[in-house]
Amino acid sequence: MNKSLLLFLLILTLGYTDLSAQQYFTRAGNVSFTSEAPLEKIEAVNQSAVSIIDLENGQLEFAVLIKAFLFEKALMQEHFNENYMESSKFPKATFKGQIQDYTPISLAEDAKYPVKVKGQIIIHGQSKEIEVDGELRVQDGILSAQSAFELTLADFEIKIPKIVRDNIARIVKVMLEMKYEKFNG
Amino acid sequence: MKKIIIIAVGLLLLGLAGAMLLYHKPHQDISQADPDYIMTSPELFAAFETDEASANEKYLDKIIQISGKVASTTTDEEGLMSITLEGDGLMFGVICKLDGLSEPKRKDFSQGEEIRLKGICSGMLMDVVLVRCVEV
Repeated sequence: MNKSLLLFLLILTLGYTDLSAQQYFTRAGNVSFTSEAPLEKIEAVNQSAVSIIDLENGQLEFAVLIKAFLFEKALMQEHFNENYMESSKFPKATFKGQIQDYTPISLAEDAKYPVKVKGQIIIHGQSKEIEVDGELRVQDGILSAQSAFELTLADFEIKIPKIVRDNIARIVKVMLEMKYEKFNG
Repeated sequence: MKKIIIIAVGLLLLGLAGAMLLYHKPHQDISQADPDYIMTSPELFAAFETDEASANEKYLDKIIQISGKVASTTTDEEGLMSITLEGDGLMFGVICKLDGLSEPKRKDFSQGEEIRLKGICSGMLMDVVLVRCVEV
């Protein structure tokens, strides 16, 4: 098996241009969101997010499949996919960014690193620059990342009909939790 | 007059009951559903690899019965298991998230084992992802 070819393919898949040996990735990342409106609380979870982080330069990427978000109620999931996210037209949401003022971290010691990440998020075919707070954690040589931030639906041209205004919040809270593995390039 | 009120109230209740039923509509029972496509994991993977856009059009939201060799398995914090079936024979394949709404028939799968699952196709990132899979 040609591993450098594999690494190259992986990087191509995620649109990465920089080849380096300090990459960590996951394909079982957890991304969830909640919408808390006066009449209804809606939650959905996606456990197959893909993420790559480069510890040399602090570049980060995330990608999720919209249809892999699972809801408690089937109807909510249907509306989410068909009416709001139009997930057949826009099957993915992605984020590509850079940790601000990044100094390379080592996995040799257990530590927590608060980070600010700035980059482009694409949801519903709409791109927007965001800056969010997060945390990188090293424990027993394993790298994980987590973050929670808010997104405004209107920024992504996701329209909520008046009739369900009180059921769906205009701002949703997004949470993510990634546990990375070393990419053996 | 009284009759009209009774009928109106009756209709209203009926409407409310209908709305409640719709609101609480259960998720589709995958184990009972007929698959839209029956194929192997390398076939499905190759379809997305060659032309993702047309594969999306064809397979998204469809129930796919897939057979393939177990490449690896993982279990998340909530105990939900996902099984990766071999795709291109290298690193990528078809990730099958087991259904969280029903009890899986078994949870012990060995690497290289040929298995058959049924689930909903949600697209491709690095691997093709099927959610709500059940063993058939």
